[in-house]
Amino acid sequence: MLLCAVMLPLQSRADDSGLIVSAEASHKIKKGLNVDFGTEFRSRNHFRTADRVSFGASISYKVLPWLKASGGYDLLIDNNHEKITYQDDGVSYNNWRPSYWGVRHRFNVTLTGSYKVQRVEFSLRERWQYTYRPSKIIDNFDFDEGEWEDHEVRGKGKNMLRSRLQVEWDIPKFKFDPYASVEFHTARELEKTRFIVGVDHTIKKTHNFKLYYRYQNVNGNGDDDEPNIHMVGLGYTYKF
Amino acid sequence: MKKVLRYSLLLTALTLVMASCQKDDTDMDDIIAEYQVEPVEVELDFSALTEAPDVPVTDENDSAFNDYVENSPWNKVIGIAFDGENATVSGSVPGVMVRQQGAHLTIMNISGPVKFVVSGKTNNGSIKFYGDKRFQVLLSGAEITNPNGAAINNQGGKTMYVVLDDGTVNRLQDGENYVMVDEEDQKAALFSEGQIVFSGHGELSVIAVGRGGIRSDDYIRIRPGVKIHVNSSALDGLRANDGIIVDGGVLNIETTGAGAKGVRSGGVMTVNGGRMIALCAGDSRTELEDDGMTDTTACAALYCDSLLTVNGGVLKFKATGDGGKGLNGKWNVDIRGGSFFAVATGTREVKKPKGVKLDGSLNISGGYFYSYSKRSDPVETGGMLNVAPGYTTYSHGPKVVTIAF
Repeated sequence: MLLCAVMLPLQSRADDSGLIVSAEASHKIKKGLNVDFGTEFRSRNHFRTADRVSFGASISYKVLPWLKASGGYDLLIDNNHEKITYQDDGVSYNNWRPSYWGVRHRFNVTLTGSYKVQRVEFSLRERWQYTYRPSKIIDNFDFDEGEWEDHEVRGKGKNMLRSRLQVEWDIPKFKFDPYASVEFHTARELEKTRFIVGVDHTIKKTHNFKLYYRYQNVNGNGDDDEPNIHMVGLGYTYKF
Repeated sequence: MKKVLRYSLLLTALTLVMASCQKDDTDMDDIIAEYQVEPVEVELDFSALTEAPDVPVTDENDSAFNDYVENSPWNKVIGIAFDGENATVSGSVPGVMVRQQGAHLTIMNISGPVKFVVSGKTNNGSIKFYGDKRFQVLLSGAEITNPNGAAINNQGGKTMYVVLDDGTVNRLQDGENYVMVDEEDQKAALFSEGQIVFSGHGELSVIAVGRGGIRSDDYIRIRPGVKIHVNSSALDGLRANDGIIVDGGVLNIETTGAGAKGVRSGGVMTVNGGRMIALCAGDSRTELEDDGMTDTTACAALYCDSLLTVNGGVLKFKATGDGGKGLNGKWNVDIRGGSFFAVATGTREVKKPKGVKLDGSLNISGGYFYSYSKRSDPVETGGMLNVAPGYTTYSHGPKVVTIAF
């Protein structure tokens, strides 16, 4: 079923596809208090092009049995998409900015509430994140001038509210826990929506593996020129 | 089994990560190469030019008969020798009156064809001609600078033959401030109300700092053998209201004034031979009109109000100022032979710099055509671009158009 879910949308021409691979270490400091360190890699262009590498750290605290609060920081190293602009005639080239690597700093504060009905757990995660992109000088080809020139990508910050609703099923005597979620990214308007289905597999409460499919639907004109994308995710978490 | 599954997943992930090393940019290499192309070099060229013999028209019914100085009798001769603040006038011709103030000469000619042999140097002198008779100015090592106007000014409507004496180097220069006379034009360092025909095998250098370099309110003909260099920092370099005919010669023209044209023809322009190079460095010029509207004009190395026909010769035009055109034509251009180069490298802040901009059509049936624009279209025509069959090269890129036969 998961394979079908991955393969069927691939028939769409406009949509991209890629991979997410992540590794995380989670340390329990005391009951209810955890620190996490992780890294993630993403690809795009149908798995052919590196899209992002990130490193992050976060701390979480279980305020109530059903409520967890956390805060974190991520260093995002992005391979930004190329950008082509045209003259007024819509045909002649104006500028071409090739893809380039740039960093972003992301801070987040999260509240997660969960509710269990027998073996099915519902959770709602509300995350506010602020992402700052420092300015950067990059190459830009000006077709009018017929020459390469330096172009400044200006620094800017962006606030985003991410709301995720998830349901996870703990199947008795089955080592894999399926889950599904939908997440909305809202800045001034709804910018993108993520649909995820996947499974968790934990070994001796120390090693957790995750395999999932994620479809990201881009609704608005965000800054990242992101297309709709189908992704396969592989995650590993080491808990100690 | 579980281990196999875990390691398979890990291996798959690593493989996909390692495979993600390809760029997803559009392949722009070839396109950028087309935009980064450098223009051919267009610079002034004073080197000698081997030309076919200049055979004068001998048929009196030919409209060009009177353009040939050889077809008039020149037994009436007056010598003018400049020497600093003075000039010595020698010879006497009935019907020719000379008024002299220092080195400034005013000559009334009602006699008929008269040859004025001009030599010597003055930094404060000039010659002004009146009379409706054609005449010849034989420049024989003359250097004339007029701080207050044209160095040579013909107010008559008949032909002024400017003959560059063989092997001589001549120089004419105007001043920044022209002292005008009521109801008289004075538009250039070398100005004529009538047509000007250049001939001979000498050299002429014209420096214009106040107005244009060489200008006729009629037409200008340039014959093989002459070497003319015009440097104008004010207005147009070489301009004729009723047309320009280039049969040969070596012409180097450079202008730097805003909106100035290197060569400007108000009538039909025909090039049959020679080598003409014009460099135009001025930016666009904006003027306030009488009706309160503003008019902006860009410079052009060649500006032609009427038909331009190229039968032979080498023509190179380059504009480097804002919005400057290599060729700005208001009608058709017919290239039937020779080599034609137009280059525009200026900025496009006020006007668009184009290699060739025509209101009419560009018709190419022979020779070599090259047009380049660094920041705009190499060729823009209001009409058609017609290329006759038989061409050997037809290359049309975003910056360069090349057509060869």
